[in-house]
Amino acid sequence: MPKLTIQDLEKIREQARRGLVIREGGAFKAKINVHMGTCGIAAGARTIMTALMKEVERRDLHDILLTNSGCAGLCSQEPMVTVELAGRAPVKYVNLTETKIQEIFEKHVLGGTIVKDYALGIGSEKTDY
Amino acid sequence: MAEKETQKTYRMHLMICAGTGCVSNHSYEVKEALEKELRKHGLENEVVVVPTGCNGFCERGPILVVQPGNIFYQQLSVKDVPHLVEEHFLKGRPVAKLMYSPPETKQPVPVLNDIPFFNKQVLIALRNRGLIDPEKIEESIAHDGYKAMVKALSEMKPEKIIAEITLSGLRGRGGAGFPTGLKWQLVRNAMSTNGGQKYIVCNGDEGDPGAFMDRSILEADPHSVIEGMVIGAKAIGATAGFIYVRNEYPLAVERLSIALKQARDYGLLGQDILGTGFDFDIQIKRGAGAFVCGEETALIASIEGRLGEPRPRPPYPAQSGLWGKPTCINNVETWANVPTIINRGAKWYAGIGTKTSKGTKVFSLVGKINNTGLVEVPMGITLREIIYDIGGGIPGGKAFKAVQTGGPSGGCIPKEKIDLPIDYESLSEAGSMMGSGGMVIMDEDTCMVDVARYFLTFTQDESCGKCTPCREGTKAMLEILTKITEGKGTPEDLTLLEDLAPAIKDTALCGLGKTAPNPVLTTLRYFRNEYETHIQNKKCPAHVCRPLNVYTIDPGLCLSQGHGCDVCRRNCSSEAIAGQKNEAHAIFQDKCIKCGVCYDVCAFGAVKVD
Amino acid sequence: MVNLTIDGKQVEVDEGSTILQAAKKAGARVPTLCFHPVIEPYAACRVCVVEVAFRGKNDLLTSCNTKAEEGMDVRTASERALRARRLNVEMLLARAPAAEPLREIAKELGIEKTRFPVKDPDEKCILCGLCVRACEQIVGACAISFIERGTDRHVSTPFGEESEACIGCTACAHFCPTGAITVEDKYGRKVIHDEMYLGPTTAIRVPTRQAVPMVPFIDKEACIHFKTGECKVCAKVCDRDAVNHEMEDTIQEIEAGSIIIASGFKTFDARRIPAYGYGRFPNIITAMEFERLVNASGPTGGKVLLANGEEPKAVGIIHCVGSRDENYHAYCSRVCCMYSLKFAHLLGEKTKATIYDFYIDMRCFGKGYEEFYHRLLKEGTKFVRGRVSEITTLALTEKEEGKLIIRVEDTLLGAVRRIAVDMAILAVGMEPSIDHNRLAKTFNISCSQDTFFLERHPKLAPVSSFSDGIFLAGTCQGPKDIPDTVAQAGAAAAEALALADLGKVELEPITAVIDDKLCSGCQICVGLCPFTAITYKKDEGHSEINDALCKGCGTCVAACPSGASYQKHFRDEQIFAEIEGIFLI
Repeated sequence: MPKLTIQDLEKIREQARRGLVIREGGAFKAKINVHMGTCGIAAGARTIMTALMKEVERRDLHDILLTNSGCAGLCSQEPMVTVELAGRAPVKYVNLTETKIQEIFEKHVLGGTIVKDYALGIGSEKTDY
Repeated sequence: MAEKETQKTYRMHLMICAGTGCVSNHSYEVKEALEKELRKHGLENEVVVVPTGCNGFCERGPILVVQPGNIFYQQLSVKDVPHLVEEHFLKGRPVAKLMYSPPETKQPVPVLNDIPFFNKQVLIALRNRGLIDPEKIEESIAHDGYKAMVKALSEMKPEKIIAEITLSGLRGRGGAGFPTGLKWQLVRNAMSTNGGQKYIVCNGDEGDPGAFMDRSILEADPHSVIEGMVIGAKAIGATAGFIYVRNEYPLAVERLSIALKQARDYGLLGQDILGTGFDFDIQIKRGAGAFVCGEETALIASIEGRLGEPRPRPPYPAQSGLWGKPTCINNVETWANVPTIINRGAKWYAGIGTKTSKGTKVFSLVGKINNTGLVEVPMGITLREIIYDIGGGIPGGKAFKAVQTGGPSGGCIPKEKIDLPIDYESLSEAGSMMGSGGMVIMDEDTCMVDVARYFLTFTQDESCGKCTPCREGTKAMLEILTKITEGKGTPEDLTLLEDLAPAIKDTALCGLGKTAPNPVLTTLRYFRNEYETHIQNKKCPAHVCRPLNVYTIDPGLCLSQGHGCDVCRRNCSSEAIAGQKNEAHAIFQDKCIKCGVCYDVCAFGAVKVD
Repeated sequence: MVNLTIDGKQVEVDEGSTILQAAKKAGARVPTLCFHPVIEPYAACRVCVVEVAFRGKNDLLTSCNTKAEEGMDVRTASERALRARRLNVEMLLARAPAAEPLREIAKELGIEKTRFPVKDPDEKCILCGLCVRACEQIVGACAISFIERGTDRHVSTPFGEESEACIGCTACAHFCPTGAITVEDKYGRKVIHDEMYLGPTTAIRVPTRQAVPMVPFIDKEACIHFKTGECKVCAKVCDRDAVNHEMEDTIQEIEAGSIIIASGFKTFDARRIPAYGYGRFPNIITAMEFERLVNASGPTGGKVLLANGEEPKAVGIIHCVGSRDENYHAYCSRVCCMYSLKFAHLLGEKTKATIYDFYIDMRCFGKGYEEFYHRLLKEGTKFVRGRVSEITTLALTEKEEGKLIIRVEDTLLGAVRRIAVDMAILAVGMEPSIDHNRLAKTFNISCSQDTFFLERHPKLAPVSSFSDGIFLAGTCQGPKDIPDTVAQAGAAAAEALALADLGKVELEPITAVIDDKLCSGCQICVGLCPFTAITYKKDEGHSEINDALCKGCGTCVAACPSGASYQKHFRDEQIFAEIEGIFLI
């Protein structure tokens, strides 16, 4: 009796790969950029990031890229997040709270519908690192 | 367990280089500092630090690559860590001052792929470098590790595997460039007495000074070698394999041991691999550092526990190798190429490279070059591309003079041949060889006689002493070269050297001796005038051979620039310099022992050498 | 068969032959250094290179190991081959200028002088590895190997120390083509290269120099072949095919009418007298050791030398070591005086040493013996009458420093003397040989008080034992010198012959008889019979006496509990009748 079958190996491969997708810079379904300047962190960007991490982990998602960047220049409206679905224009959300970001995650990131209530605008800033 | 850690989601992976080069530059300390600092900011559940194998750009170690984004940080130290963590990993602002700036533009290049050193490289053997933690088999598996093995064991017949390797045009990466497919075929065809036992051996006795590609592969991606060996074993019908690795590579030995254990625990080695009914296991054999044990028959003797000295071939190991059984010996890099060929197909592989030399080759770029490191380039690339585009040219604006390829057995290729496409044939036509892929770049300050002497020092020291030409001949050549560099050479010495070199090449027993005269032969071929200048004019044009130098002090410069700073006199060990502060100094030639210290310490260029 | 061309000449050789063999067949001379026909080729000296055109390639190949193949075109003396060969010989010549075979080849190739620097003009080792390979492949001992690399390479035992693996076969020296390995006997050990001790002794040897027959034998304990099944070099090199490894030790049973026992003696172990320092101090030797030393075929070629190789300046010969001493043997060994005088004479002949002879009494009773003693007195041997009390190295004066000091009471002077000598020879006495007791039991021979065999009668039957047909000769019966031994042996032989000539044996008339009706089969008599004349017949349930063996001693008669055993003519009734008859008178 072999220790491992080919099917087992493929399963391990699939599982391991999901955790490492991030290293390959490949195709992500969505990219969420939390603006984490000093202003953002003071306004609670860390809570937003943690909330997002939790969401991703809870749902065992591996095609969502969570990243951070510096201050977006609109310090008064922090915490701020830019959500960019693959192939679509990025959307900036402002004045976020934990519940708001959960809603955005559900509706926009997963559902594809922009949550207009919290959105600042579409496009404008490039979200490259 | 490791598996769980891999599955845990992090938003950022910090790939820190844990190759030998970076480790000796304290990358483990940087790693610890990073982890500490991340904990301080409460980021330990968001950002993970992953130790990887050698990144290749060893000149710039310790190296950290941030994923996602492929952002390249270099020459990190522990004190850079707090700033880096706060700015980039917490606040998302990459730190420009820790990035690489090419000497010509001085502009920081954030993304690894945009750095010239990396963007001309094609990674096959080094495909997983910097991408995986070599001590976690799951990460290797995630990056298609053991995929080719599955294919070879479950779908392919041995003949098909051999046909694929043959078609790919893969040739031995250890030096001689013997077609791998043909070698496998020979071992497969070889009749074995005593139950048909055959062996697979991985030659990891990398001994060339300045070559470290095998070490790097074993450290960065040991599973690629193991996988390649299993495929080879299936092709030739072997059930036991050995990896011969030098004991001077403790990190490689350690990672290899971990990898073998993990593969065995997973059932990727051992009895009935993946339920295909194929049995194969690998043992590590550690070499004691004799260069000659890289020669396959000496290596076999060493594995068998005998004196590490070569024996005459034939019989080749393919017919009678380890304990007299047919044995397939390939180099680490060759084995690492095999899985990719099986995965992506021979045609794809054969599409890279030149007519006779397919695929890529890893070179270690050392010497007078800006970007020291390990590069994997497609065959057929020119020396110019390697030296100037990837290597970033010669430091200090000096002129390129020659490149020594193939380690101590190779030869020196002069600047006139800089557009030489690199493949097995053109290198050997130029009098050198591919060797294991060492590339020593020399600038105008290099004396070619001294270079030849240097390599001969190595080969005569490493000669096992079995056959006359290698034992006595290399010593004799070294003695002559030493005489020449000391200014005691005569025209007869040159004649004797020219007699000796081809005779040694012709009659030595093994590859070591047969190639040992190459540095002499090529420097004689391309730089004969330097030999003649040494012998006839008693001068070393590059001022390297110090006994031939004459040191003088330009009194004008000494006084006008240095105001007779007296540093040279104080540093002179033989009291050969006269003068005092605010006076011009002078050297007594009869007392000067030509140590060159005055030349080195003079900050004003007043000490001249001729 | 394989056809190839050697120097333009077509040759046909067996499959698997080497180019060297083919060249030999074609009459071409290819010099070799590291090659030996009975050892696997090593291809290290590269002197046997020849140019071979084969399959479109033109290569220099070593002829000693390259197999001849169909269609090869070999040129043994092409310019390229000669140039390479000359250069290799020239380089070797710089390493080992004193190697004779190398110099011959150099001469042959027209090399007068090497252009390379000579390190040691006396060096002989050409690093051909024949010794190493012989030790490994033929002997299977692997006691020596190459150590170090490159030009530092040399042959040695592990760490250059005495090798436990070495069996002292000296095969290394035998196969060394240049005489770089010499074997020397030093301090009773074999030494190669002046420093490396070899193991005990060779496995094939002549037992002693004066052995009869003078034929070597194989010591199975030491022979590699009997350990590994390999080697058999002796058989390979013996052109008379005289070596036979299949021979087995056999035990032969020979039926004989009479037996002469001449089992000899062994010398007294001088270690038993600690005061004489034998085995503790150097240069104290026994008489047998001196015989070996002084023998022309001995280790020094007959020179009398001390352990440090110097000639002794003073020698003491000590009589009666173990003899005439109630602590050891009370008897006189009878030969020591005379051989001691012989030693004194030989020492006087071979050395300039002062010779001291310590005796208790001079027993020179044989023909011409006394005259010899007087000659020695004239030759200047210093005779000291008195028993030596001890030999010590404890010096009291500067003169005694480093010497052996013999302490003795000179009974003629009446003083205790200290005599410093360089060498002391202990005239050890005789003892019965090692298996003396076993022989005594086997042949039912009694021993006298001095433990030597007891003859039947000291005057009337000095060569007979108590058993008929068993005779004694030589020192098994008591210490004696060679003339006496020869005389006794002659007598014993004559006695045995007399029996054989007679053709029949006269039996003892008075023997014991067992009455089988009375015998209960208790077997008490069987164990008691000194002549093993009684056997127990199991089937019949009683014992029986062999008339030919019974000597009529009557032991069984006295011991028999049931009165079943009786002596002919001496039955109880007859004895009682005789007693009665006496009283009647």
